[in-house]
Amino acid sequence: MTLLLLVAVPLVFGILCLSLPTSPLRMAALVGGAWAHLAVTVRSWPAAETPGPGDLFGLDPLGHLILTFISILFAATAIYFVGYHRKRLVSQRVFLACVHGLLAALSLLCISQHLGLLWIALESASLAATPLIYFRLGPRALEATWKFLLMNSVGVALALLGIFCVAIATTKHDGVIVLTITDLARYATHLDPVWLRVGFLLGLVGFGTKMGLAPLHSWKPDAYGESPPPVAALMAGGMTLGAFTGILRLFQICAAAGLSTFAGSWLIVFGLFSIATAAVFVVGNNDYRRLLAYTSVEHMGVLVVGVGLGTAGSYASMLHAMHNMLNKGALFFMAGFIWRMYETNDIRQVRGTLIRSPLAGILMLAALCATCGLPPFGMFFSELGIVLAAAQNNRWWVLALFVLTLAIVFVGVMTAMLPMVFGDPPEGITAGTLESPSHRWRRVTMLGAATALLALGLGLGAYQPTVVRDALVRAADSLYHPGFEAVAFATDTEVRP
Amino acid sequence: MNAQTVTDCVLVLVILLNLGMLAVSRLASGVRLFAMQSLLLAFLPLSADVLEGESPGVHALVIAVGTIAIKGIVIPHILLRIIRTGEVHREVEPFIGFTASVFVGALLVIGSFGVATRLPLPTSPISTLIVPVALSTLLLGLLTLVSRLKAITQVLGFLVLENGVFILGLLLLKQTPLLVEMGILLDLFVGVFIMAIVVYQIRREFDHMDTHLLISRKES
Repeated sequence: MTLLLLVAVPLVFGILCLSLPTSPLRMAALVGGAWAHLAVTVRSWPAAETPGPGDLFGLDPLGHLILTFISILFAATAIYFVGYHRKRLVSQRVFLACVHGLLAALSLLCISQHLGLLWIALESASLAATPLIYFRLGPRALEATWKFLLMNSVGVALALLGIFCVAIATTKHDGVIVLTITDLARYATHLDPVWLRVGFLLGLVGFGTKMGLAPLHSWKPDAYGESPPPVAALMAGGMTLGAFTGILRLFQICAAAGLSTFAGSWLIVFGLFSIATAAVFVVGNNDYRRLLAYTSVEHMGVLVVGVGLGTAGSYASMLHAMHNMLNKGALFFMAGFIWRMYETNDIRQVRGTLIRSPLAGILMLAALCATCGLPPFGMFFSELGIVLAAAQNNRWWVLALFVLTLAIVFVGVMTAMLPMVFGDPPEGITAGTLESPSHRWRRVTMLGAATALLALGLGLGAYQPTVVRDALVRAADSLYHPGFEAVAFATDTEVRP
Repeated sequence: MNAQTVTDCVLVLVILLNLGMLAVSRLASGVRLFAMQSLLLAFLPLSADVLEGESPGVHALVIAVGTIAIKGIVIPHILLRIIRTGEVHREVEPFIGFTASVFVGALLVIGSFGVATRLPLPTSPISTLIVPVALSTLLLGLLTLVSRLKAITQVLGFLVLENGVFILGLLLLKQTPLLVEMGILLDLFVGVFIMAIVVYQIRREFDHMDTHLLISRKES
């Protein structure tokens, strides 16, 4: 019942958005849909039971965790969008319906235990996201849309090929193995290792394209730069996590088949390369939204590096996924606010946010610190966790490269974006409509949503309730011990230090 | 002629059609060749059943009908319609010339036969040609995708790539539930539909369909 609701609620509200006559009603439907979804998600904790071998749908620790992240992000974005939206050429009905479609597709992705269904959900998510990028109309948005659509379609086609290869690996076994995670994990030792390896690599490339791992990230700056900031927030914090789930599912099977070293080293290679690529392109970039897109490439790299470094690294990676969601949400919310104030993407023309709007300046500063992994924000702890995991495994080269490239990104982002916050506002600029007293409610909703996410990031960085920690630990454990062993973990309440 | 030979013949024809698609410059001819390829492929799930001495099952029939309807009729129809309403009918000055791309394509086919020998299937398949043909179709699709400029040819390249995945999927008829297969077909259809809309918008916005003139940012 919960599973059905998770997909049905956004779909119903999406149809509602299509049919309601006036804009305020549709906005209400957007907020209602996102918060109803959040309510269903929160009520589903703790998961009643782990999915059985034949179940196509179910809430396993990993999917449940990612689902919750995505739901929180959508709830915050819905509030933000109420303040952000303006009359635009593109149909508001279609836009809002697509937002709900994206939420439904991502929920389906998180609860699907069958690799084929997971693929269908991911492809649906990218199709639902395509109209969202074309929000601003015009040639540049069109180029971004085309790049996104074509690269992602090819990416998911490769991922499908990878899934087929995993399916071919199952034909070695005499009985029929269903392509569910639990069943595959149970018979993992009977799988053909060659085809499983091929399948994992193709899946990594395919899902990696969707996640934005270098060298297949080139759609990302365009898509995040051209789509409206709330959509960029949904993609950077939500959709990428969906694709990450796809990679993790394949990793679970590899780990169960005893190929975790092989799979882990490829994850580390791709991850480090992504962080390095981000480091190269962050320096000297003059468009702040594209720059933020490169920090997203960086954080995707951090996520996969963590998983490659064993259970301790996986825990840090799950923690990072949570803070990435909170932080990318807040960051793009603030980018949208600044864009509304200055009406430009050029870093050199944005100066003195702190003077024009002290609250926005402080929030932007906080979001930047959080992105760069400064304490007390949570990303500091997750990145520290990955460094420690690398040291534990004696992967000194990984550690060195990781720290060095992160430092370059830190310097690049800070030198580019600190002047946006400090400094004097450009002369002769008139206050935008956003700053007029009649638009106070817009400022409240936009900054409120960003504040909420930042406060959560700060709070969860400083203090982690047992519930959260437990959920993260269980998800991280399920990566290396997937499937039926998870049943044992469900009853086990011991929390690791 | 038994079902085995028929399957092999179909797969060889599929490769020839791939190379044909690389050689033609008229966009409409390319789309027609793709439609023919898809129709040929649609019959393969049936031959797999016939080969085992059974009458075609419901599963195979549904896939065959779905493939014929979507890939053989609806998608080519949409693409041909876009070509007809536009002024541009030919691919001009691709990054790799037509003769050269056929040559590169032939090399890729040889390469994929080489790779396929190193990937032995766990069980004996309906035809030993399946893996190499799937690989070469995939690679030739990618080649079309990266070497051509027209948005519509890029869509065609993506569809050929998807056909390659489909051929590999033939090995797995027993494993995948019907629900999943239909979902994949539906996603493909919606995907191409959205691509068609975007292509249409590109043409309206730029008065042509050349993606390399979509200018602006080259940094990444």
